[in-house]
Amino acid sequence: MGKMERFPFVVLVAGLGFFLFADFVSWALPMFVLKDIPMKKVEDLAAEAKAKNTSAWADFQRLAMYYPEQFKKYYGEVNEKSFAKALKIGHHWYVAEGCWNCHSQMIRPVSNETLRFGIPGVSNTVSYPSEYQNELQAPVLWGTKRIGPDLIREAAVHNVDWQVAHLYNPQTTSPGSNMPGYPWYFEKDKNGNIVPNERGIGLLTYIMWLGSWEVKPTKEWALKQ
Amino acid sequence: MATTATATEVQATNLVNYTLVKLHVGMGLFFFIVVALMGFLYSLQLDGIYPFPGIEFLSPGRVRMIHTAGAAYGFLVNMFTGLLYWAVPRFTGYKVFDEKYLGMFMFIGLQAAVLITVVAILFLGQADNVEWGETPWWIDPVIVAWLLLHAVQFGTPILKASQRAPLYVSGWYIAAMLVWTPLVVFMGNFIPRFWSAGSGAGAVQSTFIHDLVGLYVTPVAWGLMYYFVPVIMKKPMWSHGLSLLGFWGLAFFYPMNGVHHFLWSPIPMFAQYSAVFATVAIEFAVTSVLINFMMTLRGSAEVLKYNVPLRYMYTGAIFYWITCFQCAFHVTLTFQKVIHFTDWVTGHAHLIMFGTFGMWVLGMAEYVWPRLFGKETMYSKGMSEGAYWLLTIGVIAMFVDLTAAGLVQGFDWIGLNPWIDSVNFSKPFWYFRSVAGIMMITGLLMYAMNFYKTATAGKGLEAQLRNA
Repeated sequence: MGKMERFPFVVLVAGLGFFLFADFVSWALPMFVLKDIPMKKVEDLAAEAKAKNTSAWADFQRLAMYYPEQFKKYYGEVNEKSFAKALKIGHHWYVAEGCWNCHSQMIRPVSNETLRFGIPGVSNTVSYPSEYQNELQAPVLWGTKRIGPDLIREAAVHNVDWQVAHLYNPQTTSPGSNMPGYPWYFEKDKNGNIVPNERGIGLLTYIMWLGSWEVKPTKEWALKQ
Repeated sequence: MATTATATEVQATNLVNYTLVKLHVGMGLFFFIVVALMGFLYSLQLDGIYPFPGIEFLSPGRVRMIHTAGAAYGFLVNMFTGLLYWAVPRFTGYKVFDEKYLGMFMFIGLQAAVLITVVAILFLGQADNVEWGETPWWIDPVIVAWLLLHAVQFGTPILKASQRAPLYVSGWYIAAMLVWTPLVVFMGNFIPRFWSAGSGAGAVQSTFIHDLVGLYVTPVAWGLMYYFVPVIMKKPMWSHGLSLLGFWGLAFFYPMNGVHHFLWSPIPMFAQYSAVFATVAIEFAVTSVLINFMMTLRGSAEVLKYNVPLRYMYTGAIFYWITCFQCAFHVTLTFQKVIHFTDWVTGHAHLIMFGTFGMWVLGMAEYVWPRLFGKETMYSKGMSEGAYWLLTIGVIAMFVDLTAAGLVQGFDWIGLNPWIDSVNFSKPFWYFRSVAGIMMITGLLMYAMNFYKTATAGKGLEAQLRNA
């Protein structure tokens, strides 16, 4: 037993050997299984939203229509590039604000979660690997605790108008909610109305994008001008 | 005793750099109180009475990340490093690599990393969505470099001792931890960001959450326990065979546990099953360790009556076994249907981090602290006892309360009631949790007051002891 209780044996066998073996089983092998799923960049996600005319693309246009002054100032025109920029900013502040401490982004195949989250028949599928295989899920945002509901099927659950009011003061739309308000995502426009600022528009775009790829049928949601 | 120090005691004194122990343990205690206050502040948001609404840098979500990241790097790393500076030279018989320059540099570096993290999360909006790795990704290379220095600092005396004779149990745990920790921090913070995404990243992140607990906190804490418990009781561990079984069981099964944080997720099922299997297996290793400690206590149980540090350690050990026993059940896919995403998990996390590791470091610090100032005991026995009972009752109350809250939430969600119902049903539990938090913070403040008094009210106590 003498050798087993020496520094080199402990370091090589327990420190390196067991650790590498466990990493192989726990994540290297799963990654290998998932390796054929293409990895998407934010630009790819934006192009996809436009090409498929998803609800997220329509909501982005809505934001441009509701808040023309702020939208023009921070994002310019409605196009793939500005959509990608809004997603990036929104995702950054979703992470930085710790939204993921209370909102998960994973629908499990158990506990009636498909019935609870999303709208049945419209956007209520179980989570699957390929929808997470993108830049905005690195690191993944599954979360570990739900104080508020899951958000990965949020796109069809509430509309932008609701999200704006809710982000500013959650108690106005959800009485009894213990979510804090986020007034720093808003500013005053030239008429003195409270409107989302650059970060706010980004965050709203990001939230309305969550699950938009699952909203069926997509054409119905397109904005008619 | 104070006047007639034996030759070995003088030798041991010269081995340990008291300043570094004092600095790290002091900062660790400071950050313990800070992160406890942050947790309390966040709990007030759940109660609907947050005192600072509408202030961006005190947003509850950001405060919560200070609570978790601060607990990891501010509280635990400081505390453990301070205690390692005390224990490693003493059980190996060699000084650490370099205490004058490297020791001070590491101390300042760690505090700087923690402060930069606090500023980045609260004021700059720079956080990372890796749970327990909320430090912004650009500070993580600094932490990995720090951990490599830490490996050199404490690895040197252990390596030297190993060349002379087989290592003592503490040496195995700490040697393995020194290798694991930098690897774990590197893996958990960089692979999910730069080399993977989605389910693959989720598998790495879950491995990281668990490995930071299992391959840093647990081995360093058990290593210290194997040193402090026999020293305080002045007798050896009951069984060397069980010590071996416990260490190798932990080393083999613990790193595979991680994926159990994301059961029923899109991670391939074989990884989830292996995690469940390894988690149930580790309970046997844990039980073997606990049997070893309890059998060591046999015949000396009355020491717990008057020795508060030892009582902290055994209380923590019992909480450890409860946590692990609970884990063997709730890690199953069946339990996960109900309790995943609920406060049950929060209760579990507090029982292990506060109830076990918090209690252990407080006990060890309380043993070490008076000795650093040339005294036999803490300043006030009353404050020692008061703090112990407030902390113990507080953490039990919080654990029971959150476990019950988790069941309420879990079944409410399955029942498809409106979401707001689960919030309203949880509110009484959340109020009670805040009250338990007040108890725990009061205990910590009492403990810190005792520390302060022990350090400052020096001479009088010493004179008293000599007269006696």
